[in-house]
Amino acid sequence: MSLALKLFITGMWAMLLAIAAFLVLVVAPVEGMRGEIPRIFVSLIQAVIAIAAVVLFVFALSRLKRAYVNRKLPSN
Amino acid sequence: MTEGYEVLAYGVVVSAISFLAVYFLTPAAIRSLVARGSVVQDYHKPGKPPVPRPGGPVLMAGIAAAELVLFAFTMNYGVLAILSATAIAFAVGYVDDRRVMPGWFKPAALLLAAIPIIAFNAHGSHLNLVFGSTFIPLLYIPLIFVIMPVAGNTLNSIDILNGVASGVLAIACVPLLAASAIFGNIYVFLAGLPLLFAALAFFKYHKYPSRIFPGDSGTLLLGAMYGSLAIAGKAEVIGVVALLPAVINSFLFLSSVKRLAEHRQVKARPVAILDDFRLAASKDRAAPATLVRLILADGPLSEEAVAQKIFRLAIFSALLAFATIILQYYFLVVR
Repeated sequence: MSLALKLFITGMWAMLLAIAAFLVLVVAPVEGMRGEIPRIFVSLIQAVIAIAAVVLFVFALSRLKRAYVNRKLPSN
Repeated sequence: MTEGYEVLAYGVVVSAISFLAVYFLTPAAIRSLVARGSVVQDYHKPGKPPVPRPGGPVLMAGIAAAELVLFAFTMNYGVLAILSATAIAFAVGYVDDRRVMPGWFKPAALLLAAIPIIAFNAHGSHLNLVFGSTFIPLLYIPLIFVIMPVAGNTLNSIDILNGVASGVLAIACVPLLAASAIFGNIYVFLAGLPLLFAALAFFKYHKYPSRIFPGDSGTLLLGAMYGSLAIAGKAEVIGVVALLPAVINSFLFLSSVKRLAEHRQVKARPVAILDDFRLAASKDRAAPATLVRLILADGPLSEEAVAQKIFRLAIFSALLAFATIILQYYFLVVR
């Protein structure tokens, strides 16, 4: 089995865990603002942070993919 | 609350119903599809033999029978939510099996599969994120509308070689069901057993050399049911990790073609077929990067060998999913 492909999967797993940790550290505490601002705004703030994190994840994954694919498929 | 012996009995009954129904109905479905001329060519084999398609109705029948019996036993509406979402995804796939639909159809139509999950309140308000949990009662609703189409289409995209879709799903189901039992509830675990056993029974006919293809109706229902179990079982991240080979394949394809497109719409094929019917990675710069193309980058392989490599990747991802379960258990339960 291709070790490189397993490493690629492991890298993706590590990135998923990093994003999960970021969301726990940043999105969860926003809930504490519920007493100060309405629930809908709390959710909006959480959504913006989560979408930004996902965009960052996709960007990082694209870089990882480009590096891996260029090495495996030089014609690309 | 269901007692331990009842859980065991219900689990055995629903697993047996789905497994036996799919196992014994599939040969009849193969004969019926062949008689009606509902076949497609298997381009990866000498002579391009006709293979009957779709096997989705058999999978749906086995899973529906088991889920209805489970509902009769438990009267748990989460079971109905999962069954309804699965049936909607099956209907979407069946339309795509019967007539050629544009690339946007499946992701858009699969949004409907999210509705039963919300209507029956089968979801929670917390998103489990391995190291903790976030309370997102409003945000969770749109998230369901994202998860359902993505799950269905992700499994659909890995239906590339004989046996791969059903085999990868069966492997990914093991950690997902374990996580559902730990972080969700026992009803979700019981509702997930028919998916695993239907996939295992179908794999007998779908594995290399395939005697039947699942079609879009089969892959979309399997993927959507997987997604609904991840939601109801509070195992969203674990569900993604267990299905990483399919996720990577989807991501590679989408980031190559940069739009929602069917594989048939892409002109440059990622894989070439050699004279001896081994598969080789395409050297065409315009061809999309896919999981199979990356596997074949090391050299040509038979279709069966490529499928075996994908199964090994699926097992590796399942092990990572179990590692994630341990981490999540430590942070959410032990600490």
